[in-house]
Amino acid sequence: MIVRTLLAAIVAGLIAGVFMTGAQELRVVPLILHAEEFEGEAPAAGEQPAAQPGTADPAAANHEQHSSLKAVSPIGALLDALSPITPAYAHEGEHEEGGIMFGMSRFSGTLIANLVTGSGFALLLAGVSLVIGYPITLRNGALWGACGWLAVHMLPAIGLPPELPGFPAAELGDRQVWWLATVALSAVGLYLLVLREEIVAKIIGLVLIAAPHVYGAPQPSDISSNVPAVLGAEFAVVALATTLAFWIVLGVVSGFINDRFAKA
Amino acid sequence: MATSTVSSIPLSLSDRLTAGIIALLIGGFLVFGAGLANSAVLHDTAHDTRHSYGFPCH
Repeated sequence: MIVRTLLAAIVAGLIAGVFMTGAQELRVVPLILHAEEFEGEAPAAGEQPAAQPGTADPAAANHEQHSSLKAVSPIGALLDALSPITPAYAHEGEHEEGGIMFGMSRFSGTLIANLVTGSGFALLLAGVSLVIGYPITLRNGALWGACGWLAVHMLPAIGLPPELPGFPAAELGDRQVWWLATVALSAVGLYLLVLREEIVAKIIGLVLIAAPHVYGAPQPSDISSNVPAVLGAEFAVVALATTLAFWIVLGVVSGFINDRFAKA
Repeated sequence: MATSTVSSIPLSLSDRLTAGIIALLIGGFLVFGAGLANSAVLHDTAHDTRHSYGFPCH
């Protein structure tokens, strides 16, 4: 029965992942592509004097830098993505240096990443539900999803808003650690706040949720960017809105599958 | 107490915890791979997904 429970979560995640891909292609990806046009105009190309847009080799060099995450400037390091030519086309066959898996198109890569991410979040949601002993049902699925969204997207976004390519940002490792810690603390905090009756637990929950923001997210020292602020504002709203829709779909579908099949 | 809250999931307590921990481990692995792993191929494949989910990227 363990396998059936896990399969139920994976199916829900795949469905939500397909849904998310549609939502992304409609609203999010156009903004990413738009931002990458500005990213290409970055003046911070000092460390890459050989960069000549349109030639293959410098693009590959930049690409490696972009991917190995050692770049000093996130703007200058992202030149590989400056044109409508995606890394999939620019680096076909050079898998070791990055590029999209199996030479797939950019869309296929996004679809697969969404399916994997959807299954992953579905399993995490099911895992939390199983460990704390509160089943996900059709009735409470949307609330489960909303809490997942709060913990994974909304609360971390207070410190690290969803960023477009070319946005200034602090060191990647620091941000990932802060992000992971915030997700974990927010999840535990939400559990204490929502599902525990004791007033002390609720207060501790609020403290846990607030703690990473009091500590503060890693911020870039230089916040100048070529990407227009309007794009960034639109992107933050669209990213949070699509992920909210994703989580609600994920919660409701998980609940539906649990009600119909997993407990049969 | 625990048994009353799990009545709609037909698993014993130990099965439930086993399934839950397996789900957390696999789920964490998948999300980490798609969202956070420091691999060029994974990063480029999942690029648009990472941005739209707000994963710390680049």
